[in-house]
Amino acid sequence: QFGPCRVEGVVLQKLWEAFRAVKDIVQAQDNITGVRLLRKEVLQNVSEAESCYLIHALLKFYLDTVFRNYRRKAAEFRILRSLSTLANNFIVIVSKLQLSQENKMFSTWESARKRFLLFQRAFKQLDREAAVTKAFGEVDILLTWMEKFQQL
Amino acid sequence: HNTEDTSNLLQHVKFQSSNFENILTWDSRLESSPDTVYSVQYKTYGEGEWLAKEGCQRITRKSCNLTMETGNLTEFYYAQVTAIDREGQSATKMTDRFNSLQHTIIKPPDVTCIPKVRSIQMIVHPTYTPIHAKNGHRLTLEDIFQDLFYRLELHINHTYQMHLGGKQREFEFFGLTPDTEFLGTIMILVPTWSKESAPYKCRVKTLPDRTWT
Repeated sequence: QFGPCRVEGVVLQKLWEAFRAVKDIVQAQDNITGVRLLRKEVLQNVSEAESCYLIHALLKFYLDTVFRNYRRKAAEFRILRSLSTLANNFIVIVSKLQLSQENKMFSTWESARKRFLLFQRAFKQLDREAAVTKAFGEVDILLTWMEKFQQL
Repeated sequence: HNTEDTSNLLQHVKFQSSNFENILTWDSRLESSPDTVYSVQYKTYGEGEWLAKEGCQRITRKSCNLTMETGNLTEFYYAQVTAIDREGQSATKMTDRFNSLQHTIIKPPDVTCIPKVRSIQMIVHPTYTPIHAKNGHRLTLEDIFQDLFYRLELHINHTYQMHLGGKQREFEFFGLTPDTEFLGTIMILVPTWSKESAPYKCRVKTLPDRTWT
């Protein structure tokens, strides 16, 4: 359950296992310890209603930008399997998060969009490769946040 | 002094965390380096500043308790150690990114096993952590992990065990033979974080049956 959106058949445990297998390798490549992309202003105090829009925007960004651009490095570090597991599960979640236009509550959508833009702006302020590596290394932050909503 | 020498000074800088007690530890490849001193700094991931850990500056031991400094469950941390030897050679090494929620290991629970004539009662005591709630009270593992539960086994003989489990703290194995020794094991499990404690073990003997038959 992400706010107004219901998502069945998603086992976060599988995502955690995939990420744990590569966490230290990926995070060790990120030496910009003074920047956190998924910071409090992006993820804290998100209302239930906002959560659906925000998770949709974040997962699409991870699919379209982060995972796509990390593929070559993943092959280099032999962690393609984990990357694929994460990507495939994100595709499932995004496909099931139907954001029907009718019940889009504009102010909620706007608030979620502002949060996403905070994340995207921080991403764009870094060198492209460093930003992709950092974002991938923060999948545990994303999963921890998703976990909270899944328990509601 | 090439880097090969300085890497001898310092290695394996990492957090060791159990029940949210977060200890930074490190090693030196040089067997005897009594004059080498170590200084610890830590920072929150996403912030720029490294902070010196009071009480762990120019120390000779190879560990430092950073529980209080790394106690926010939603934050991620780094720590780094700088070693300086007698000739002034120095080396600095940093930990991996650390988050106590993800990394802490769960210790075995504290349990009281109470034998009766035909049953054994097991009472699991709450495990308090160094983490405090906003209102100041100390959190237990159960407070932190909503899906925490206990798994109990009673070994009857080599091939047969009885099993109990649940979120409650009081359990009782019934239908046992009087005046017989049993081995009980009790573990804590947290599925969401794939955590499982080592077992607490108690060996108890049921009481003799003194009722007149």
